[in-house]
Amino acid sequence: MKIIVNGAPVLPDAGPDDATVDVLRDGLGLTGAKAACRTGVCGACTVMVDGTPQVSCLLPAAAVEGRQVTTAEGLDHPVQRAFAVHDGMQCGYCTPGFVVEAAAFVDRWRGEHGDTTPPRERIAAALAGHLCRCGAYEGIYAAVAAACRGEHDAATGAPARVEAMDKVTGRACYTTDVRLDGQLEGVIIRSARAHARVVEVKVDGAHTVDLLPSDRVVRYAGQPVAAVAAPTRREALAIAEGARIVYDPIPAALDDAPGAPPVYDESSRRRAPSSSEGMNLPGGWNGNVKGPFTMASRRSRTARRRIEAARRRADPLLVTGTFTTAVQVHTPLEPHACVARWDDRGDLHLHLSTQTVGLAAGQAAKRWDLAADRVHVVADHVGGGFGAKVGITAETVAAVELARVCGAPVRVVLSRAEELTDAGNRPGTRTDIALLTDDRGDLAALAMDVRGRGGVAVGSAVAVLARLMYGTAPRLLRDSDVVTNEPPGTPFRGPGAPPMLWALEQAVDEAAHRLGEDPVALRRRWDGNRKRHALYDWVAGLPVWLDRPGTGSQTGRFRRGVGVAAANWAYMVDPATQVELEVRGDVVVARTTVQDIGTGTRTVIAEVLGEELGLPPERIRVEIGRTGTVHGPPSIGSRATTSVAPAARDAARRLRAQGLADGRRVVGRRRGDRRGYVTPVAVAGMALGRGFSGAVHVTEVEVDTRLGVIRPLRVWAGIAVGHIYSERLARGQCEGGIVQGIGYALHEERHVDPVTGAVLTTNLEDYRIPGIGDSPEMVVHFHQDGWDHVNGGGVGVGEVSTIGVAASVGNAVHNATGWRPRDLPIRPDRLLEGIGG
Amino acid sequence: MTVLTDLDQAAQHTGEFRAGGTDLMARRPAGPYVDLHGLPGLSGLTWRPDGSVRIGALTTVAELAGDVRLRAAHPGLALTAQALATPQIRAVATVGGNLLQRNRCWYYRNPSFSCHQNGGDSCPARAGLTLYSAVIETGPCVAPHPSSLAMALLACEASVEVHGRGPSPVGDLYGDGSDPARDHLLGSGEILVGIDLPPPVPGERAAYHRAIGRSEAEWPLVEAVARLVPGGGGIALAAVAVGGVARTPLRLPEVEEALLAGEPLDRAAGRAVARCTPTAQNGYKVALLTGTVLEVLERAAGGAGGSGGSG
Repeated sequence: MKIIVNGAPVLPDAGPDDATVDVLRDGLGLTGAKAACRTGVCGACTVMVDGTPQVSCLLPAAAVEGRQVTTAEGLDHPVQRAFAVHDGMQCGYCTPGFVVEAAAFVDRWRGEHGDTTPPRERIAAALAGHLCRCGAYEGIYAAVAAACRGEHDAATGAPARVEAMDKVTGRACYTTDVRLDGQLEGVIIRSARAHARVVEVKVDGAHTVDLLPSDRVVRYAGQPVAAVAAPTRREALAIAEGARIVYDPIPAALDDAPGAPPVYDESSRRRAPSSSEGMNLPGGWNGNVKGPFTMASRRSRTARRRIEAARRRADPLLVTGTFTTAVQVHTPLEPHACVARWDDRGDLHLHLSTQTVGLAAGQAAKRWDLAADRVHVVADHVGGGFGAKVGITAETVAAVELARVCGAPVRVVLSRAEELTDAGNRPGTRTDIALLTDDRGDLAALAMDVRGRGGVAVGSAVAVLARLMYGTAPRLLRDSDVVTNEPPGTPFRGPGAPPMLWALEQAVDEAAHRLGEDPVALRRRWDGNRKRHALYDWVAGLPVWLDRPGTGSQTGRFRRGVGVAAANWAYMVDPATQVELEVRGDVVVARTTVQDIGTGTRTVIAEVLGEELGLPPERIRVEIGRTGTVHGPPSIGSRATTSVAPAARDAARRLRAQGLADGRRVVGRRRGDRRGYVTPVAVAGMALGRGFSGAVHVTEVEVDTRLGVIRPLRVWAGIAVGHIYSERLARGQCEGGIVQGIGYALHEERHVDPVTGAVLTTNLEDYRIPGIGDSPEMVVHFHQDGWDHVNGGGVGVGEVSTIGVAASVGNAVHNATGWRPRDLPIRPDRLLEGIGG
Repeated sequence: MTVLTDLDQAAQHTGEFRAGGTDLMARRPAGPYVDLHGLPGLSGLTWRPDGSVRIGALTTVAELAGDVRLRAAHPGLALTAQALATPQIRAVATVGGNLLQRNRCWYYRNPSFSCHQNGGDSCPARAGLTLYSAVIETGPCVAPHPSSLAMALLACEASVEVHGRGPSPVGDLYGDGSDPARDHLLGSGEILVGIDLPPPVPGERAAYHRAIGRSEAEWPLVEAVARLVPGGGGIALAAVAVGGVARTPLRLPEVEEALLAGEPLDRAAGRAVARCTPTAQNGYKVALLTGTVLEVLERAAGGAGGSGGSG
């Protein structure tokens, strides 16, 4: 078979039914095209065939025989530079597909319309077959429009992030792209049952490793049972499909009914996985319910007494309701992936798609009983994480164990179905809220009773976060877990906060309506956070806020609404962070054990060094994503930038003091904040700093009352995190946070079959994440004061920028229709039912 | 893989036929596959002197969507083609493949389940989640029919030609939906070779709408196409078809008759719901069916001739 790939004829060893993406990646080593969904939905594998973009995952090799195939590696197009300059990317995993499609669109547009700006909806229609989980759509719109105007025909403008050109040319190497000599492909065999004791696993013709827990009980459909390896993925899959598992069935709990069968017994409870980022809240068990934890309450008896009295007298200022949220899946476009190799010395080498290079290495050393310096982790580029890629997860265990028994490197890459089933999710919740306002219009009492549904995982911590907003009024805050035989929840960008704010911020909105008060003015009165006061003042002056419609005043088919929500988040830092600098010739090389998952860590370090040392970008090289150097932070809990940037600055100042002589090596550290931290010692590498970051989101929607569609038109984000290190990248984080928040509000919902417990949303058609057409226009406003006590003057932006978005959508829908949504996502069926359409 | 180059040999092959492969390569049934791209003369549009047109089964959806003459002659079909799937899929997927694709039910597509469609004898959706299931019951399977083009062709009075058989109405490909094991009624080895559309009707106005939650790239909750020809102070010709609601694409004669009888559009649209038998989970499809039908009726009645947009 002959194909002309990027201009050169090649003769790949491929069968006619092989997917073209596999021929390109495995046969020809062209890994720009990514096999991210294998159902033609996400577009990450898009290549041009005779000039027309096509998804190479569904394209049989027979269909490209004798034809011209162009991948991102072979593309040389102005739109690639436009993506780099306008930052039409974060993690970059979807970028090669986007640029191939965008190149075809830009050429077509300029041919038909000259060098003009296309309407936003034309760009959206052209790129409808691509998904960006980071939500970098605002930068993508800007890049495509600029390329259509001919602004990037010449190489002008600096890339917004240092690795941008690697990402737009498909050269950036992710874990899924790693291919070592003699490498085998591993596949995980998973439970078909929601609850059973595994009696026996029979596998023919391959090395097998056991992945069952010590009690041999599987507690959800999709739980890893074993793993096998073979020279090709197809062979490994065939072996896995031929495996016979003998189950001894146990009744499964697939709902939260009080009579549901028990998921755990007293001893197995202790091994329940955690959906919490820190320690689980303490609490006893009652059947499948753990908790409630109530210690975050303030004067809970007063709160209860006031609310009960208000209920008895039918006080109109008592707002009550039940709010629910669906399970949201992280589903980063790069699935969980690991390539494991044991070397002759017994050292373990891991290529890992991880948010935590250092933590993963430490956990691996402990698990496989190795000295810390015998584990080597590489994560040059990471295709998104959002909380799902922390520490050692199942694919890593499988790859490492298989590599040991096979005596060869083993790669394990989760399929999209596995990624959507058992690779992390934000637990669902059910919240009963009561919020009482007194005669003076002050908050008199708050009660939140939250039941988290994290499947087999415990660790729901939702109501506790309501301790930290709206002053010190009495409040009763209860958090419980209801365990079921469903896949485990894990921490997800701002754990606990989106469901808490979904309930609280709508209740506050309702209180404002009952008082007849402007919801922003009410929040400004109740909220003691001075940084958020500045954001409320900004919002109060926005024309969209001043001109918002009266709630429920519209009667036409299309109704416009504007809603606001505030958000509060803790400031966390890794105080042990260091950055090492070494002068090599006329280049300064920076190293630390951190990773760039798309948040821009590499660029932040480079920019700080450039400022301090006065060097041009080509004289600075940032080598991160590897062990073997000084300690660096994990990319979790909004702490990477605020930990690493001050350490880089400290290192640069030391180097400047010593002079940039060739071979010079210095180590800078992350000096403490003024007045130290709330936690006197760091726990698990994390210190809780003083102060809370804030956000206020204003969302404008248009509701189609006939067809049940909610369109977010524009979103304004006021963000108070102090000093902004790299403005364009920070804005990108906030924009992506808005897109994910809109997904949470309107589209994203994991569904599980109520009879078998099998996940039904196992592809990106059924699990709906926002596309470019669903991305609103966005304005991000940074309020940079109030963090002078923090070394560097700024804290993280990743979580506070997304957690309140869904609540602002809910309040906007209420403003538009007079109906208050209580269940997420606000699907068309729920809207139609709610407004009585 | 086998490459089929002669239609007369089709019956000798037992493997699944592959045209664009956008459905088959995602399902990956056991091979070998029989590739149809070697068949001559099955691609493109052929216009006849009387204005009728033959659409070759291997014509891509993108060709259909972009054909200027088709847009004028059969706007409802062209608008439907423009709105389905994504640009990359439309570039590859064929009209024949679209008509004969398998359904998108998340039980049928999930290897954990057995159902009527893959050799089983039950419908796990009925015991489980019916949120996206058919709301007009025609048989044991409740997966909505997946082909938007089939719905549009039904409204366009198209006929299809299966090799070795004479022309038949497009609806005959699907029957009444009572057979739960099949998405179409072609037998093994039978090949759809082309679709025939009658000459255009002067003065026709058409509209298509796909009711989805997001802005693009989603399988329809409900979809509808309407063709209207004004005349005699009212509506002289009306053809309305819907998808996403039943095992097969459906014409709605009750709505068409109401329109011809001069009923207001909203009342006529409301007649679509009489056949619905919703479950506790998919009752919204009843309201959405009325809304979607009304949407295409309004657009077709009010829009400029031969357009109407797809929203």
